[in-house]
Amino acid sequence: MSIITRLGVKNTREIARISSLTSSFATQSEPPSPVAPDEFRVLKLRPDPVQERQKREIRRTEVPPPRSTQMKFDQDWGSVWPAARSFHPATVPLPVRQGYPLKNAAPPNKYGNAELMKIPNFLHLTPPVVTKQCEALKKFCTPWPAGLETDEKCEKHFPVEVLTSDYCYSSPTIREPLARVVTIRLKLSTLNLDQHARDKLLRLVGDRYNPEDDLLTITSDRCPTRKQNFEYIEYLLTALYHESWRTEPWEAEKSEADMEYYDWDKSKSRDGLITLYCWPEPPIDNDYETIPHATEYKIAVSDLINNGEDEYSLNKYKEAVKNMLFLEGQEKK
Amino acid sequence: MLYSKTALVFRNVLPKLGLETTSGILGRALSTQSQQSIETAIPDKLYKQIQLEVRGNDPAVLKSYAHFTVSAAEKLGATIGRNFAPRKPEHKRYTLLKCVHIFKKHRVQYEIRTYYRFIDLHRLTGSTADTILEYIQRNLPEGVAMKVTKVEMLPLLESIRVPPNSASTTSTN
Repeated sequence: MSIITRLGVKNTREIARISSLTSSFATQSEPPSPVAPDEFRVLKLRPDPVQERQKREIRRTEVPPPRSTQMKFDQDWGSVWPAARSFHPATVPLPVRQGYPLKNAAPPNKYGNAELMKIPNFLHLTPPVVTKQCEALKKFCTPWPAGLETDEKCEKHFPVEVLTSDYCYSSPTIREPLARVVTIRLKLSTLNLDQHARDKLLRLVGDRYNPEDDLLTITSDRCPTRKQNFEYIEYLLTALYHESWRTEPWEAEKSEADMEYYDWDKSKSRDGLITLYCWPEPPIDNDYETIPHATEYKIAVSDLINNGEDEYSLNKYKEAVKNMLFLEGQEKK
Repeated sequence: MLYSKTALVFRNVLPKLGLETTSGILGRALSTQSQQSIETAIPDKLYKQIQLEVRGNDPAVLKSYAHFTVSAAEKLGATIGRNFAPRKPEHKRYTLLKCVHIFKKHRVQYEIRTYYRFIDLHRLTGSTADTILEYIQRNLPEGVAMKVTKVEMLPLLESIRVPPNSASTTSTN
């Protein structure tokens, strides 16, 4: 405690010295005090009341009435609202209401309505504006060429279809990877193929051919750009076509078990029929046209083996055999 | 907008002038050369069909946009095909635990709904398609994505038009 008091004494002395110094400075620059120099200074226990500071005047700009009140009914709306913009209640002269209503109240009106500002509006795309803009854009359009009015005509002159996709959305990059994919579609009947070439092509393309609509579809996405993918498909098509027209030496080794369908003309059934018809002489020629009911028998056998056994095809086969062997009369007895 | 317009003009003017150069400025500068190559005009592309797929989170916006698209395409000379929206949107749900590591029965679920709209345009030339798509895509509202699938028509490729001659096939055997 004594230390504190001692320090305090010391400090007060110091403070007194500093204050005397400042006072000496102050006397030099101080403006003349209200008290006359020959009078004592008055000790003011209560300071003078502070003069009230003048309040800052709040300047308010005049808010004009909503613009929509001054609009003419025949104004050009396209110049009032020329581009996409958030909803503005004073500019739109419509009594729109939007939002969740309070109990027994209508939905909130358009002034200060956040619901109306959230949703993108189409106020810049009113029908007259669209008409006007389309009129201006019309000069960049070209008419569809004559002679291609129907899909059949289009297919006749332009049988190849190329499918590509473009994407437009708020992506961080403009290079959408899916835009590189190219698909080519064409009808197989437009290609000039013989029986062997067609068969080989179908074996080469596998499930890329749809027999229901006769469409061959090839898709490529292996190259990084669309152009490269398209050129790759062109190459593929060319290679396929030329490869299918080629007859390799090993193709002659195709046996009956490798046949994709039953061909009666090359079958044992035909040989047997002709041998039977010419019995007991050996068959002279391979012509089966002279044998009665042979064509019917041929169709029945082919259908039975190619389309599978069912009641209808079996009955057909039975009738054909009976007709051919003249068993009709015996059954009647 | 300006750039694209000039590009379109050039595309349109191209068949008339018969410029083979890809840059418009270059083509105009070398007008003497363009006179010589009048025969080699680049033919315009032919689109059999253009499928527009629009998707967004607000069905009302998609409906208005489809209305705008159809009216614009009709005025610019396109044939409108199908124009429909699937009845149900696609729901994508995320289910998370509400609490950090206990109370497994209590979850919170977030959901994103995506609405679709499909519009088909038929039989468009390349310049018409470019004009319509440019106009439509510039007026795409915020929060809406578009996928454009173009079906272009091409004649049969030169290489697969005629079968390879029989002499070559026999030589391969």
